[in-house]
Amino acid sequence: MATITATARKDSPPGPLTSPALRKLLTLALVAAVLVPLAAARWASGTWPEALTVDVSEPLGEASDWIIDNRDSHPLFLYFFGHVSNVVVIAVRAVYLALLAVGWAGVTAVAALVAWRAAGSRLALGTGAAFLACGLLGMWVPTLQTLALMVVAVAASVAVGVLLGLAAGLSDRMHRALRPVLDTMQVLPAFAYLLPVVLVFGIGVPAAVLATVVYAAPPMARLTALGLRGADEEVLEAVESLGATARQRLLTARIPLARRELLLGLNQTIMMALSMAVIASVIGAGGLGDRVYQALASVDVGAALAAGIPIVLLAVVLDRVTGAAGARLGEAPAPHARALWAYALIAAVAVAVAGRLTDRLEWPDGWVVGIAEPVNRAVGWMTDHLYSGVPVVGGTADWAGHFTTWVLDPLRDGLQWLPWWSVLLVVAALAWLIGTWRTALTAVLAMAAIGVLGVWKPSLDTLSQVLAAVAVTLVVGFATGIAAARSDRVERLLRPVLDVFQTMPQFVYLIPVVALFGVGRAPAVAAAVVYALPAVVRITAQGLRQVDPAALESARSLGATSGQQLRQVQLPLARPALLLAVNQGVVLVLAVVIIGGLVGGGALGYDVVFGLAQGDLATGLVAGAAIVCLGLMLDRVTQPTERRAKKGA
Amino acid sequence: MSTAATTTAGTAGDTPVFSVGGLWKVFGPKADRVPGDPELTALGPAELRSRTGCTAAVRDVSFDVRKGEVFVVMGLSGSGKSTLVRCLTRLIEPTAGTIAIDGEDVRAMDGARLRELRRHRAAMVFQHFGLLPHRTVLDNVAYGLQIQGVGKAERRERAAEVVAKVGLEGMEQRRPAQLSGGQRQRVGLARALAVDPEVLLFDEPFSALDPLIRRDMQEEVVRLHREEGRTMVFITHDLQEALKLGDRIALMRDGRVVQLGTPEEIVGSPADDYVRAFVRDVPREQVMTVRTAMRPAASAEEADGGPAVRPDATVSEAIEAVARAGGPARVMEQGRCLGVVDSAALLDVVAGVAGMTGVAGAAAPARRREPTPTPAAVSEEPV
Repeated sequence: MATITATARKDSPPGPLTSPALRKLLTLALVAAVLVPLAAARWASGTWPEALTVDVSEPLGEASDWIIDNRDSHPLFLYFFGHVSNVVVIAVRAVYLALLAVGWAGVTAVAALVAWRAAGSRLALGTGAAFLACGLLGMWVPTLQTLALMVVAVAASVAVGVLLGLAAGLSDRMHRALRPVLDTMQVLPAFAYLLPVVLVFGIGVPAAVLATVVYAAPPMARLTALGLRGADEEVLEAVESLGATARQRLLTARIPLARRELLLGLNQTIMMALSMAVIASVIGAGGLGDRVYQALASVDVGAALAAGIPIVLLAVVLDRVTGAAGARLGEAPAPHARALWAYALIAAVAVAVAGRLTDRLEWPDGWVVGIAEPVNRAVGWMTDHLYSGVPVVGGTADWAGHFTTWVLDPLRDGLQWLPWWSVLLVVAALAWLIGTWRTALTAVLAMAAIGVLGVWKPSLDTLSQVLAAVAVTLVVGFATGIAAARSDRVERLLRPVLDVFQTMPQFVYLIPVVALFGVGRAPAVAAAVVYALPAVVRITAQGLRQVDPAALESARSLGATSGQQLRQVQLPLARPALLLAVNQGVVLVLAVVIIGGLVGGGALGYDVVFGLAQGDLATGLVAGAAIVCLGLMLDRVTQPTERRAKKGA
Repeated sequence: MSTAATTTAGTAGDTPVFSVGGLWKVFGPKADRVPGDPELTALGPAELRSRTGCTAAVRDVSFDVRKGEVFVVMGLSGSGKSTLVRCLTRLIEPTAGTIAIDGEDVRAMDGARLRELRRHRAAMVFQHFGLLPHRTVLDNVAYGLQIQGVGKAERRERAAEVVAKVGLEGMEQRRPAQLSGGQRQRVGLARALAVDPEVLLFDEPFSALDPLIRRDMQEEVVRLHREEGRTMVFITHDLQEALKLGDRIALMRDGRVVQLGTPEEIVGSPADDYVRAFVRDVPREQVMTVRTAMRPAASAEEADGGPAVRPDATVSEAIEAVARAGGPARVMEQGRCLGVVDSAALLDVVAGVAGMTGVAGAAAPARRREPTPTPAAVSEEPV
């Protein structure tokens, strides 16, 4: 049925009111007509009925207490988690000490030279400059801490990801089993991963590293499997026809053929690891993220910015260097590659030794430029002059206030006022219209699970923020995307901006919005919009640009105006891309709305932070589970029938 | 319809390189039951699919590939020719039937023996080249030797020789992406040659190339065959290519071999309407030999005078000779006169009314057809 409706819709792209959609709605109405009176009669209430909730906080609290009591004695912890934890601590410590021992000059030199060999001289200069900037901002030590954590987490993520990817790439059964899990992990907000690891490992570096690995390994696994499966069949057949053994085929053909995907996986894993390593500061990661977290807690925008800039610089450098290495794959290697590597190595060692001999391993205090003070002065001036009372336009705080009063509050109250069964019904209808009955069922079950967990109200609060942010994102994103698709100049202007915005970790977006709007729900929404926009713009523009030129040309030859071309040809043909943009927008917005709990967003995100801060893991875990359910529901509701193999973001 | 069986029955003497008998390849659920079930084997492709959900890509195919010949399998896309060539080295596992290489049962081979076969005895050239994009030309060519475990220095040395043989000197260090289509296929050819196989298998190797490049490559194959005399199995959908390269051609349709014979037999006496439609536009004078067109010398005078042509000369060559001399030409073999061809006989060949048994317009005078040798006799001729 699902496939039939999908093909039927393809034949008649415009308008959702074709017969299969109507049929789905009618079926749903029929089911609702039977079930709703029953449900409403038994559990009549606006919010989720008490009778249908299961109190899980007590057993969770007990489990958490048990774990805390037994952490030092139970064999499972003694012989497994204990060792894992120790290995992680030792590894991070070792990398950190090694970085310290090389000294700031040595680290900068090594980073620049690796960038030179992997990506060319321009990126080498950029890398060197970025590292020096970290030092200048007085963030050398936190940068090294974050780097040390990253190195260990990325190494573990790659190892885990490649192993899973090999399994999924070589075995169909593993592929079928792993794919839905990896797909789902990809759409869950980072915050959802924090509490389970804290439950087992307690707050600290091991929990931070493991949360990072869990978050960052899936793209490596996905892309490894994709690369192995996407290999040119005829090349593999040719290898087979020469009499290769299975091992030879894997090592000399399949893995080398997947190099591009493997490097892309490495790139994505590094970026996700950085993003998570920063967020994991709330569970004891230390480093740059911790500085931002502490500064945000006391609304010290200057200090937050001083730590945030190195994060952005690291992100951009890591992304560009790994990306450039991937782009260089097809080219023939430069002559004397090995000699150049050797020279680079010798030069780096020389710099490090020179640093040691002159005893200048630590970043000199005199070279630190304090930006916190002037930034805070600027923010103070903004608070005084821009927050409110600007003639005609009003102030930023006024906007935030208006947005909260006129959009967020009514939306939240409206959602919470709706009878619980009608929410489920809307979810089912949306999910079924866009996807299949399977996705609809998953979405409804996920939504119901939220009610059962007893966090219906805060979840709807989060949902209201998500909906408001998604609406703004889509309006702005589609408009910008269409503009970028229709004008090369707009696209040229936008591209570098989008490139930088897409590489920045989620956490960083909180800094400017706090500076502009203070704390509350509106800044959380603003951060979410800014975070999700680049992906939506990019997918929209790409989708419109990839519309079959022949179709567009024929429309033009019939004398269609550019508006007609857009409405009648480009938008309908780009429908899959637009749906993907919606899906990505929703997923990205949710991730940041949750993190918004750190800056007064309230709702589920706040429950997680509160649970962590108070050691009340039960509250946090329930909120985490609700986040997972909400993420699942939102993803399934917006999931087009044919899911793309690769995400656009 | 076992044209194949009758034709292969004519061979005698040394063992064929490949001997295929009753070969079936059926794709689909429970494919094994199809070849053994006479009721199912009688069905056409569409019926078989609707009855069982299976597709028979190769149906009851039998043929021998003789040592040193170029054996062409030709057919349109979907006729099962590519599946057939993959069955020879079990890149695709056959469903039923026998395959023997030099008398050794291929289907009974275990993994190691099969790898041995693929490594040393049969190498394949692919339509889309199947090159490894991350390796240089030289390392691509040496890849088969690497698989065999040949040391780096030796395999590079041997690869360099083969690279020179296919005319790619100076390009050893390039990557496949830096080569043109024709050059890439030369690499593919070199890779197959580098392992010095007993048989070369070609799977539509030149279909992806431009017409001019394709002609160059065909000439390259002809040259290689002339120099080395290696046995070749060549898959193509291009009739011109088949006629140009093939010593013998197996014409496939819907998984069956509908006719197997020399180019001259295929063009001169098509087995059925399908083959006839297929060869209709072929310029006959370039395929048919004077052996088909000649008649016995009417008189001693006729057998002594006039220009001489070889019996395997094409009709178009004879036309030129006859036109220059202004009279009949003698067909001479080892100083003996086999017969004569005159302009009328040659014209009949060009018009398609000579040598074609069972043609509707069999208005050709019966006397001209009498000396036509039987197809079997022609196929005995070493070419």
